[in-house]
Amino acid sequence: MAEQDDAWGQLLAAANAGDARAYVRFLQSVTPVLRGIVRAKGGGLGEAACEDVLQEVLLAVHLKRHTWDAGAPVRPWLYAITRYKVVDAFRARGRKIDVPIEDFAEVLAAEAGPDPTEAADMNKMISMLDVRSAEIVRKIGLEGVSVAETGLALTMSEGAVRVALHRALKTLAILRERHVK
Amino acid sequence: MKTDDLIRALAADTVRRPDLRTTLMIGLLPALGVAALAVWLSLGFRADLATALVTPVSVARILLTGVLGIAASRLVLLLARPEGGQTTRFWPLAAVAAAALGLLVWAYVTTPEEARQMATVGKTMTTCLITIPLLSILPVGVLHYTLRQGAVTAPLRAGFVAGLAGSGLSAAIYALHCTEDSPLFYVTWYGLAIAGVTLVSTLIGARSLRW
Repeated sequence: MAEQDDAWGQLLAAANAGDARAYVRFLQSVTPVLRGIVRAKGGGLGEAACEDVLQEVLLAVHLKRHTWDAGAPVRPWLYAITRYKVVDAFRARGRKIDVPIEDFAEVLAAEAGPDPTEAADMNKMISMLDVRSAEIVRKIGLEGVSVAETGLALTMSEGAVRVALHRALKTLAILRERHVK
Repeated sequence: MKTDDLIRALAADTVRRPDLRTTLMIGLLPALGVAALAVWLSLGFRADLATALVTPVSVARILLTGVLGIAASRLVLLLARPEGGQTTRFWPLAAVAAAALGLLVWAYVTTPEEARQMATVGKTMTTCLITIPLLSILPVGVLHYTLRQGAVTAPLRAGFVAGLAGSGLSAAIYALHCTEDSPLFYVTWYGLAIAGVTLVSTLIGARSLRW
């Protein structure tokens, strides 16, 4: 457990210093654990809804990553965000749940399975963005196009694409908030 | 959208936000500067400021409000982090409150009975009760902004400490003008002004600091 925390800390510290590859590895390695937590707490909702909640948590972790203090362990920080968003998400879906944070330690990581679950909410939110922002998120996310190529395709500078992507993700978080309430 | 796709989109977003301490300092220091300037230009600093700063009973209120403001500002930075709600300890605030109450009791005992009422009511109660909340608006606003940039998981408590921090620091600045040196006056009225600002800040925080 402590070793995993150290590994996450190193990855997140590198990510916050601008290492995009470390950031992908960080997100990929926390995702199964977070998915396990979401399913353990809200299994009755079904896998697809749990995947929606998981994506909400990941978006929150992403937008709040600057609130992690590099000197502090990652796990309490990560679980606090997860707990906040999970409670929020389940309440919005009409279920009140109690999420004692100590339970998280016992949750088993859950892989997405051979056919990764398609989450529906995020698509809905993306289609509520303005056309250009939606296209940027889809290109980079769904099609795996690089920022540079996206810029070429949309005749935007790389910097402009980055800023637009950042704004789009912030807007997505706000849209989710409004949509689920 | 699959979660792997989302991760790819998140990882491509490399726009970094400043850490919370930086955000707080960039906002709070100018806000306090503006508050000090406003006091200096509109009310003026007290003429015997240099003497007051070495008179224990007079400087005590600057120290008390200043320490309250700084201690609460540190708590704001803690509560701006998601795990802050579980780890934050409030005893420094309780210690300041206890010291202020102790000073009040001491002043009550040492002030002759016939002088107590005059010392408590003073001459500038209204100015004090109006000025401290006015001076607090900008600093408390900056503290709430910082909290919004953070990831608050205890909005009520975060609003509470933001109110204490902003009004405590503002009261310390107001004390540079105010000449009412009896703890009977300043613990009572500064305390009331700080309590009022803190109540409003708590109510606002409970609503606006959710995300």
